[in-house]
Amino acid sequence: MRSPADRRGAAPAPILQIEGLTVRFGGLTALNDVNFSVMPGEVRAIIGPNGAGKSTFFNCVTGVLRPTSGRIVFDGKNITGRPSNEVSQRGIARSYQITNILPNATVFENVRVAAQSRRHAWSMLRDRGSFNDLNEKAESALNQVGLLPKAQELAANLSHGEQRNLEIGIALATEPKLLCLDEPTAGMSAAETHDTIELVRRIASNLTILIVEHDMPLVMELATRITVFHYGEVLADGSPAEIRDNSRVQEVYLKT
Amino acid sequence: MTLASLDRISPRKGRLSHTTVFWMVFAVIMALLVIAPFVLPVFWLKFLTEILIWGLLAMSSDLLLGYTGLISFGHSVFFGLGMYGAAGALLHSHPANLWLAILCGLAGAGGAALFVAYFSTRLRDVYFAITTLIFAQIFYVIIFTWTSVTGGENGLIFSRPHFAIPFLVDFKFDRYTMHWFVLALVAGSYVLLRRITRSPFGMVLQSIRENEARTRAIGYPVDRYKIVAVMLSGLFAGLAGVLYAVQNEFAAPDFVFFITSGDTIIFNVMGGIGTLVGPIVGAGFFQLLRELLSRLFGDQFPYLIPVGMVFIVMIIFLPQGLMGWARRWLNQ
Repeated sequence: MRSPADRRGAAPAPILQIEGLTVRFGGLTALNDVNFSVMPGEVRAIIGPNGAGKSTFFNCVTGVLRPTSGRIVFDGKNITGRPSNEVSQRGIARSYQITNILPNATVFENVRVAAQSRRHAWSMLRDRGSFNDLNEKAESALNQVGLLPKAQELAANLSHGEQRNLEIGIALATEPKLLCLDEPTAGMSAAETHDTIELVRRIASNLTILIVEHDMPLVMELATRITVFHYGEVLADGSPAEIRDNSRVQEVYLKT
Repeated sequence: MTLASLDRISPRKGRLSHTTVFWMVFAVIMALLVIAPFVLPVFWLKFLTEILIWGLLAMSSDLLLGYTGLISFGHSVFFGLGMYGAAGALLHSHPANLWLAILCGLAGAGGAALFVAYFSTRLRDVYFAITTLIFAQIFYVIIFTWTSVTGGENGLIFSRPHFAIPFLVDFKFDRYTMHWFVLALVAGSYVLLRRITRSPFGMVLQSIRENEARTRAIGYPVDRYKIVAVMLSGLFAGLAGVLYAVQNEFAAPDFVFFITSGDTIIFNVMGGIGTLVGPIVGAGFFQLLRELLSRLFGDQFPYLIPVGMVFIVMIIFLPQGLMGWARRWLNQ
C-alpha cells in the first residue's frame, strides 16, 4: 500500500475518493469505515460474497443512500449525501441490477430523455423531436450499445439482454465521467455476456468504470484493479493477479 | 401498451402525415364549434359553452393525472380561486375589466397551486392525492366562512364585463361572442398544453410517471418538475374558473368543494387520460348524460345512480376511455 504522500506525488488525482464510509441500518453495519479510491481511466471491479455491502456502497456513491458517516469526493467535489439527481449532474451514471427503464417509451426516447437532462431540460414550447443535438446524442449512445436498429421499438419489447444494454445506453447518454455498472451481465446468455464484455471494453477507453460482478473469470478479464468487500469492509485491493494470489481472498471468496 | 402510444412518442417516421391529419381534424372541429351559435338553440349553446369550460378544467387535470401520474383533488381549489379572483376584480374595478379579472383569477389559482404543490409534491401516489384533498377542504372552509370577503354561502354576484381592447373594440358579451371568447381561450389552452406535453419538459413528466427513481437518477430534480407541473395545471384550471364566473356572473362556494375535483377526475377517466382531448370528450359525455336523464325522468330524479352505473360499465369495458377506444377503433 502506498502512503497518502506517495499518492500526492503521482501526477493524476483520484477521480473518486472515499474516506471512512460507514452505513448502519439500525443495529446492522452494512459498511464499516471503507476507504477507497479510483484513478481516472481505471476499470475497477468490486467483488465479494452476497451481503458484503457492494450494493450499499453503490447506493452511497450514486446518492440513493445517505451514509451514516464518511466522505465521498468525486472529481474534487464533496458529494456526500447529495441527492441522486445532483450526483448524476456531477458526472456519475449508473446502470441498475434490476432492469430499470421506461417500458412504455421507445428505445430511442429512453435514451433521449437521458441526454436531455444535460441540455434543454426545461424547454416547454418546442417539440422534443426537433432538437437535433439531442437526437444525435441519443443515436450515438444507441450506436455504442448496438441498439440503433431497435431504436423505434418499445423498450418493453426488447429481450432481457437488450434491456440491460439499453440501461448502459441510458447511462452513457448522460455523458458521465464515472460509470457504475451493477452486475451488467446478470441473467444473460453466454453470447450476450460476451457481447456485453466487449461493450464494456469499448466504452472503457474514455471513461472510468466501477463494476460490481459475480462472474469471476469475467472480472479477471475486464478489471484493471479489483477491490474485495467482506462483511462491509475492504478485505483486499490490488491488481487481478495480486487478488488471485491473495491468501485471505482465497479463503473467503475464491474457494474452488 | 398500444400502437397509439408508439405514435405519440416516435420521433420521426410518418410524423408529417400524422401531423397533417391531426390539424385537419382540429380545423374541422373548430369550424363546427365556431358555427355552433348559429345552429344551436339558446339552451344548448350555453350547454356547449359550459362543456368547453369543464373540458378545460379536465384537460388541466390531465397534465397531472395522465402525463405526470399524480391524482389531484386540488382542482376544485384552483378552479374556485380562479372564480373568486375574477369576482373580486370585477367587483372592485370600475368599469369592470375583463383582462384584470383573468389576471386576478390566474394569480389566485397560481398562488394556491404553488402553495399546494410545495407541500404535496414531496409525496407520491395516494399520499399526494390525500394531501391535495385536505388542502381543497381547507380552502373550501375558508371561502365558506369568510363571509365579509367571499360572501360566504351566498357567494358573489356581479355583472359580466365588456370585451374591451382600448381604442379598438368595446362591446357587451352576447351569447355568440361569449361562446367564441370561451372557444378561443379553450382552443388556445389546448394547443399550448399539447405543445407542453410534446416538449422535453413534457417528456420528463412522462418519465416521472413511468419511473420516478430512474428519472432522478438520470439527473432530473423531480420535485421541482412536479411543482411546476402542478402550477401549470393550476393556472389552466384557474382560467376555467374565470371563464365559468364570467359566463354565469357569479362565484359560489359549491364549486370549491372537492366534488368538483372528483367530477374532473371522472371526466378524465371517461374520456381517456393522457390524451388532452379525451377529458373534453369525457366532460361533454358526462354533462350530456346527466341532462338527458333529468329530461327523461324529471329534475328530482337521482341521476347520480345511473351515471355511476354507466361509469362502472365504462371502466370495465373501456378502461382507456372514449378516446382510447376511438383510437383503437381507428387503428384497426
